[in-house]
Amino acid sequence: MAINVLICDDSSFARKQMARAIPPEWEVTVHFAGDGVEGVQAIREGKGEVVFLDLTMPNMDGYGVLEAIRKEDLPAMVIVVSGDIQPDAQQRVMALGAMAFIKKPIDADKARAVLTDYGIMVRA
Amino acid sequence: MSNQGNIELGDIHWLMDILQNIDVGLVVMDSEYRIQLWNGFMESHSGLSPQVAKGENLFKLFPDIPETWFREKCQPVFQLKTRTFTIWEQRPYLFHFKNYRPITGRATFMYQNTAIIPLESISRSIDHICVIIYDVTDIAINRRDHELQLAAIQPGRDTPSCSASIIAPAIPAASALEVTNKPEPAAPDITAHQIKPQATETIESAVIVRDRHSWDDTLNRQLARCARSEQPGCLVCLQIDNNSSHYDESLLALFNRSLRQSDTAYHCDDLLFALLDNSDAGDARFFAERVRKAIKRLGDHYSVSIGIAPYIDEFESGEDWQLAAEEALLQARHQGLDCNQVFEP
Amino acid sequence: MNTASPTVTLSDDQRDCYQELTNVAMGQAADRLARLLGEYVVLPIPRVNLIESSDLRMALEGYGEDSSVSAVCQGFIGSGIAGEALLVFNDTSFKDLARLTRREQDLTHNGQLELLMDVSSLLIGACIQGIGEQLEVHFNQGHPVVLGQHCNVRDILKAGNELWTKTLAIEIHYTMESVNVDCDLLLLFTEDSVLRLNQKIDYLLD
Repeated sequence: MAINVLICDDSSFARKQMARAIPPEWEVTVHFAGDGVEGVQAIREGKGEVVFLDLTMPNMDGYGVLEAIRKEDLPAMVIVVSGDIQPDAQQRVMALGAMAFIKKPIDADKARAVLTDYGIMVRA
Repeated sequence: MSNQGNIELGDIHWLMDILQNIDVGLVVMDSEYRIQLWNGFMESHSGLSPQVAKGENLFKLFPDIPETWFREKCQPVFQLKTRTFTIWEQRPYLFHFKNYRPITGRATFMYQNTAIIPLESISRSIDHICVIIYDVTDIAINRRDHELQLAAIQPGRDTPSCSASIIAPAIPAASALEVTNKPEPAAPDITAHQIKPQATETIESAVIVRDRHSWDDTLNRQLARCARSEQPGCLVCLQIDNNSSHYDESLLALFNRSLRQSDTAYHCDDLLFALLDNSDAGDARFFAERVRKAIKRLGDHYSVSIGIAPYIDEFESGEDWQLAAEEALLQARHQGLDCNQVFEP
Repeated sequence: MNTASPTVTLSDDQRDCYQELTNVAMGQAADRLARLLGEYVVLPIPRVNLIESSDLRMALEGYGEDSSVSAVCQGFIGSGIAGEALLVFNDTSFKDLARLTRREQDLTHNGQLELLMDVSSLLIGACIQGIGEQLEVHFNQGHPVVLGQHCNVRDILKAGNELWTKTLAIEIHYTMESVNVDCDLLLLFTEDSVLRLNQKIDYLLD
């Protein structure tokens, strides 16, 4: 069965870039959210088994989403995809329960490497 | 430069020609600051051939380059692959090159902007950097001239340092000659430094010199006099740091009042020179301390660096003497704020 | 000068794309600043707008009439795309900047100039390079010019030319989490560059 993947980013360009970077061999259903609030709602609806999460967003930022996931104990594996590449940002999101951190700009190679490294996507 | 793929082997000697003849300085260094490339501009102005420079440590070859400062500018280039820049307002120059234009040159040294760029190796790591040196003397001098004009139009404004003008004495020379029992100015109470008893009669009246050529003349004449008479003579070079990059009129007047009639003052860019007649290093130090104290009284934010060059037989020209004083000043600055340094050959 | 150039426009998709490119570039810049200062840099959402030359002051309206600022400007050009980066520092930033770079001994006029130059090299360089890499353009940078130290924002912009009518402005307001450092980075492109930029952007959006 296809895995539900949520791409949560306020930029439609970034969402598109992310969607393109998802390895074609990975069987998924892709959902989109334009900010943190929409993102948390989508995860509650089960659309975010795997979440690609941006940090800098209006309404609710990525940190807020991570906190909500933890508080509500939502079943989501979160990979942060961010332009904020400061070591501090990476530590913070990992401490908040993110599984991995990918530096923007995203591309298929980076995505594939992380997805296989963490065993989220099993190579066919 | 992004089209390096287009360069063929046969073109390399063209490129070498361009490198040699282009009117900017190019220095390539490795991560140990050893010079790997030294182009024609650098050779011409430093007098050091590429054969001599190659492989040498920059700071050993040019001890007057402030090492800590320059390393700070280079580190981001090595570590972050970022370009860094320095401008003449920060430091007038990286390499101390003398003015090389007898006709149009109005500064004593070449003002420089520098760009420091990373050079990527085949493995994409940064093992080398290139320092590009631009001669911006004209820009710097024009800026000063412009500010001087502004100051002339608006007398209330801070008077910036003039590009190459002699300080007008506090009182006109004609009347200065007549001064005999003129009371010392009340405040600030810096007056003539009493170097030799006979000098005390002729207070606050420096000789007027009109331009750089006159200054060179004065310096050369004093040089000849010292050589002939074996009388001591000292050239003192001052640089004042304050919150504005200019020396205002009160500061210059203060400096001028500290001179005797037989002394000559010269103001060039941000340097003040005083040529002290019949004075040895000890006298000059005494003079330096008095000037500093007087200036510090204007405010705590002033700091005064002073270089002192007593006359020695090795000086072949006034220019040698002036460079010695500037050299001493640089050393004084390296020691920290408010330092004096006597030139040691 | 460009003659009879088509009117510059900016669609929502284009604006979004500029924002995202800037977001990545300014993240790289912030990372370098954070490494220099050892403090976390707060990343805002960059503002992307077409502005008229008369709007330039409004872009810096955050600075009050009496606040004292220092500013550096640096030109860049590559593949026919040219512009200038303007970095404006609130002068209150220098105290903490000096402390974080262990230079509090040297808060003189010259010491502040050193800080201004170091930080602007870092921020402007990283931003320009970051945007250039994503657009596959190599930008050459001109020499930075200090527009003023300890002056009013209005004085800084006074020197600007008014030849352009409408252009693309990208504004980034950097602040730091626990120290009092704030500055604005403004990227301004020449009018005819915007058309080329838009072409590059449209290619990415395809």
